[in-house]
Amino acid sequence: MVVNMKLLEMNHIKKEFDGLSVLKDISFSVEEGEVVSIIGPSGSGKSTLLRCATLLEKMDGGELVYMSEKAAWEEDGKCIYASKADLKRIHSYFGLVFQNFNLFPHYSVMKNITDALIRIDKVPKKEAEERAVELLEQLGLADKRDAYPYQLSGGQKQRVSIARALAKQPKILFFDEPTSALDPELTVEVLKVIKDLAKKHMTMIIVTHEMQFAKEVSDRVIFMEEGIIKEQGTPQQLFETDNERVKEFIGHLTGGM
Amino acid sequence: MNITMMLLQLGEGMLISVEIFLLTLFISLPLGLLVAFGRMSKNPVLRWITKIYISIMRGTPLMLQLLVVYFAPYYVFHIQIGGGYRFLAVIIAFSINYAAYFAEIYRSGIESMSVGQYEAAKVLGYGKGQTFFYIIFPQVVKRVLPSITNEIITLVKDTSMAFAIAQAEMFTIAKQIAAAQTSIMPLMVAGVFYYIFNLLVATIMERIEKAYSYYR
Repeated sequence: MVVNMKLLEMNHIKKEFDGLSVLKDISFSVEEGEVVSIIGPSGSGKSTLLRCATLLEKMDGGELVYMSEKAAWEEDGKCIYASKADLKRIHSYFGLVFQNFNLFPHYSVMKNITDALIRIDKVPKKEAEERAVELLEQLGLADKRDAYPYQLSGGQKQRVSIARALAKQPKILFFDEPTSALDPELTVEVLKVIKDLAKKHMTMIIVTHEMQFAKEVSDRVIFMEEGIIKEQGTPQQLFETDNERVKEFIGHLTGGM
Repeated sequence: MNITMMLLQLGEGMLISVEIFLLTLFISLPLGLLVAFGRMSKNPVLRWITKIYISIMRGTPLMLQLLVVYFAPYYVFHIQIGGGYRFLAVIIAFSINYAAYFAEIYRSGIESMSVGQYEAAKVLGYGKGQTFFYIIFPQVVKRVLPSITNEIITLVKDTSMAFAIAQAEMFTIAKQIAAAQTSIMPLMVAGVFYYIFNLLVATIMERIEKAYSYYR
């Protein structure tokens, strides 16, 4: 049996906010090409987990490993992070798409996508722009390269932010509720983009409230509540679980489907 | 004294006023940014020092600060000051005073930026300095421009306070000529000069604001 490479491992992750335990000993890993959706009620810790994985939040305990490189580990009950240089490299392994896009309003679409490539990763300008043009074409935004974010619809903004993340050619792409700020019509266009990425075997971890979408796109669904993973499995397993709580939650969001 | 003579003398004074204005801006705009950093620093000592500094600069009259800066070297440290120090004292006093105001303007602008901009930059690999100078600061400039314009227009008029230590800028000269000629005319002309100066400043600032209107 071929064992796929583990791109991300999170072991015994703990996180507290002002003494309130938000993540309680969470462990999971993601293999290359896998699409994992994380669902659960608000306050379940799913966004915090994503923020810990993307180094936006410091963990209080546990181990974070990207492609066998340790970003953080536990020593004497404390969480130790890798050196600046190591973390810089690890940062290049993943991309993150935010709920509110967080595009840079003073940069054109093109510059939003290429600036980090040119400035940080030292990709030659020409190559960076070629990469951007290709992505914009794929995402149906070819005519928007010179537009500014304020001129775009929410769905277009989110697609640009996906292009910006993809341009860095990450191994893993994280999505933090990518459609929560969009109306249903625009949601569809963004979800389509993510589905297309899944077909191309992009490794993705998606925090979402879109149950139908999670069911269609994911290889694995994780249900989180109160800072722990309550249940996980294939969409099939999760959507047909005997776990009353999971049933109730999924039922709520899909209107008793 | 004929009108031409008066205009010539006032014109010379005007040049000094412009010099005070430009030098003060040149020093206080960047200095204000440094003070803003101090004010937002994680270091409580630095934060308190800058807080007290800003509070004093904004809480006492600029004219008094001018006198203190000019006379302190002699009264406090018994250093003989030459005439050359007069102009320097004006620049120092104006710069540290305006830096305090600019610092608060910068701070309000920086604190109004959403956390998301910092986070997006971090995830893309920008370092702290890069995030500030390429992502945050350009947006802050756009946001604070109207407030900065206000301060700059006030500065044009405030340069006249240099008369308190007899710096021969336009207002001092206008007052002298007015007293010698027992005429209100020189003061009126000075007023027109200041007004035109500010009209120019306002036009330039409007241009700059327009240059930043390419995005929202």
